[in-house]
Amino acid sequence: MKKIKLLLILGMFLIIQTIHAQITLNLALNPRPQPYLSDWMYPVNGQMIISFIPGTVVNDPNVKLKTTLLDQGRNIIGITNINAARVYTLRQGVNQFTMADALQLQNLMLPGNVQSLLQRTGRLAAGDYYLQVELYNAGGDAVRAKQTARFSVISYQLPVLMQPANEAKLDAHIAQNMITFRWTSLVPTSSEQTFYRVQVYEMLPGQTPMQALRGNQPILDEPATRGMTQFIWRPNLSMIDSTANHKFIWTIQSMDAKGIPVPSMDMTTQGRSEPAVFTIVNQAEILGEKSKNEVLKTH
Amino acid sequence: MNNPTKILFVLILFLALKSNAGEKRDSLTLKGDMGIFYEGYGLNKTPGSSLPDFYKARKPWNLLRYSLNPVFSYGKWEIPVNFNFNLNFGQNNFNSGFSNFALPPGMKQSFWQFLTNPVNNFGIRPKIGNTEFLLGTQYVKYSDLSTGDLGIFGYGVNLAPGKFRIKLFKGVSQGPINYVAPSIPNPNGVPGAFQRNQWMAQLGLEKEGKYFAGFNIVKSVDKTGSVTLPPLFPIEPQENMVVSFLANVKTEKGWNYHIELGQSFFTRNLNAPVSITPVEDFKPFINSHISTSKDNAVMLGIAKKGSDWEIGTRFNYYGAGYYTAGFQFMTNDKMEYLLNTRFNAWKKKMNIVGSIGERYGNLSRTAGPDLTKQLIANVNVFTQFTDQFSMNAGFNNFGFNSPGLSGYKSVSNELTVNPVYTWNSSNMSNLLSGTYTWSKYNETTIIPPNTTKNNTQTALLLYVPTFFNSKISPDFSIMWFKNSAPSISLTLLTATSGMSWKMNSKFKLKGQLQYSLSTTSPFTANKNLLATSGFDWEIFKRLTWQLTATANVYHYGTELPGNSLIPIYTGSPGYFESILRTGLQYKF
Repeated sequence: MKKIKLLLILGMFLIIQTIHAQITLNLALNPRPQPYLSDWMYPVNGQMIISFIPGTVVNDPNVKLKTTLLDQGRNIIGITNINAARVYTLRQGVNQFTMADALQLQNLMLPGNVQSLLQRTGRLAAGDYYLQVELYNAGGDAVRAKQTARFSVISYQLPVLMQPANEAKLDAHIAQNMITFRWTSLVPTSSEQTFYRVQVYEMLPGQTPMQALRGNQPILDEPATRGMTQFIWRPNLSMIDSTANHKFIWTIQSMDAKGIPVPSMDMTTQGRSEPAVFTIVNQAEILGEKSKNEVLKTH
Repeated sequence: MNNPTKILFVLILFLALKSNAGEKRDSLTLKGDMGIFYEGYGLNKTPGSSLPDFYKARKPWNLLRYSLNPVFSYGKWEIPVNFNFNLNFGQNNFNSGFSNFALPPGMKQSFWQFLTNPVNNFGIRPKIGNTEFLLGTQYVKYSDLSTGDLGIFGYGVNLAPGKFRIKLFKGVSQGPINYVAPSIPNPNGVPGAFQRNQWMAQLGLEKEGKYFAGFNIVKSVDKTGSVTLPPLFPIEPQENMVVSFLANVKTEKGWNYHIELGQSFFTRNLNAPVSITPVEDFKPFINSHISTSKDNAVMLGIAKKGSDWEIGTRFNYYGAGYYTAGFQFMTNDKMEYLLNTRFNAWKKKMNIVGSIGERYGNLSRTAGPDLTKQLIANVNVFTQFTDQFSMNAGFNNFGFNSPGLSGYKSVSNELTVNPVYTWNSSNMSNLLSGTYTWSKYNETTIIPPNTTKNNTQTALLLYVPTFFNSKISPDFSIMWFKNSAPSISLTLLTATSGMSWKMNSKFKLKGQLQYSLSTTSPFTANKNLLATSGFDWEIFKRLTWQLTATANVYHYGTELPGNSLIPIYTGSPGYFESILRTGLQYKF
């Protein structure tokens, strides 16, 4: 008797399945997506997969998405307007969408402070979030599938160059043997140890700092010891001549453990800090000339 | 040229000619200079090739540059020319990633790429009266929040009718470069770049030396169709627009006021869908995309200058979404203030320069829940105790704190003392200068809990005798440097002697010899000999020739044993580096 009941239930289930279309939703969201929400169009952030198996009676391939953004405490911080949502017509089988389609940034209504931050930066504040996507019928009144994925957002702030400070003057006798570079760390410090690449460019006669930076071969291009924010350079260059090895521009490139520039807020997307210029001064020449002139004056 | 551009062009010409009509004509004069500069680099390693490659070439083997900077003057016309470029037409830039301008080995630049190559300058600025035309490569700087430190190849004009200041410029700040995938002959590939067009305008009122007030507008846009093989993510076509208001005022009583307020629109990716959310369009300049952001920046400054003193303060705020293509490396998301002063004391024998400031970062909290804080303080005191004895002392401190679980803290303190003593006899003057620097740098991480202490000391003793009746000027110095950190103990000892010999009024020989030992404990010392010699020769009244040759001989100690290399080398590895620099300069 039990077997008959089970068979009947299974049979009913199969009939319903063939009458109603079957839709499954899978949010394959990278748990650490890129901080700029507009970049969610790229596959590196994951994808949304909707499987559609049409039924024999209920066979509507048209769906709308309703997206809800929740903070760590599961409080709603953003929700899309279902009436303004785009209607998608699903193909039979697997339908792939970008995470930007799931997020619907154009249709996302955010409260004042989150909206303001998004307008100003294109990003969310650092933290953990949930992305909930509900699949509605075209009328927007019946949920056909739903899934939630957790993700965390973090942006990095590039180091600030500290020493030599911008427009610092270094004594040639010391500088031609060693120059100490110091900078602040990447913020926040990465769980994987950050690797800093120190680059120094000589400004050739007649060149501007940016010209040297954009076109010359760096005279120093070395990694600092992993995690360290100091590098001692031993130039072994003659710096007595005012026309050679006289002006330099330096910067730091922050790289992750794989040697890829850390995705930060810089416009060039190269993970390079705002550069600084330093000049070499031949103190012996200046003091010698000064002393000679003073003596000649008194005589 | 479209109709509005033609009308504008005619208007500018009219204004230029009208404001300078009736000027008397004069003969053609020529000032300025021109020169050619060559640098040759050589590197011989022992062993010649090994793994790992223990020393890499740090300069191009040959570099030839040419500069032409004449200024033509004819009546009211003045035409300064600034040509400064690499002569080898096929030479490619180093693939630094800044401009993405590098081309694969063997591939020559097109003429357009040569002109817009950031390493080259081709600029002229004809000027008639108050009207200045800008043609070719120009470094146009309007303000700190607008533009810019980039060379832009294009055309423009600066007009100054009465108190009005009108500036316009349009050009290309980045030439187009196709993406090239990494391959065996070119393992780095070429990241590629879109052509970036940039235009800018300034409209203001000015009374020279008194005030300036005006608006700056800068717009840049990457041309998506400028390359046949576009760069890959994350290099995307961008669009940027900045509007800023700038005012500077100087009073007769020595007060200086500065204010600049800027707003930027920045589209990180023009391929992203067009959308009026989150940022609305800024018609007719910006059609917003979902990747568009809008933010503000503020710069304020006030200073007062006296006869022998100066005091000032400044405040800067850069919103996290403030970008300008005119300064593409500008750090944003920060707020900072600085107080600085300079004054004399003790009967003007003492000069004191000091500054203190703080910088707050991560204002947007997009890089964590907390602000980062940075303290920067400097003071420098120069005292002339007697005619023979002076002392310069400096102290600087910077501290950086990023709180939180993934936090980090660093504190740097540096003290420098530099006494100088001179004494004279009837035929010579002697100068003895000592410099001692003590520097302490501590870095602390929360996870793992650790503090790295880095102590550095530098001592330099310099002796410069000056012979009144001799054409030879020598100098001698010794330097000691020690850096102690938990895993590193580095000691450097250097002796240097330099000499210049003015053989006659036109010819000067110069040279320097330096020997240094650098020891990283527990290894034996690396030995280095650096020899430089050269001359400055005034061949004719207007033509000078400079030449400098440097030889750098380096032998590793046990820090790099030969048996650690592949193939195994039985001796001590080393290298010989040579640099030859020469330049001819002609003054018109």
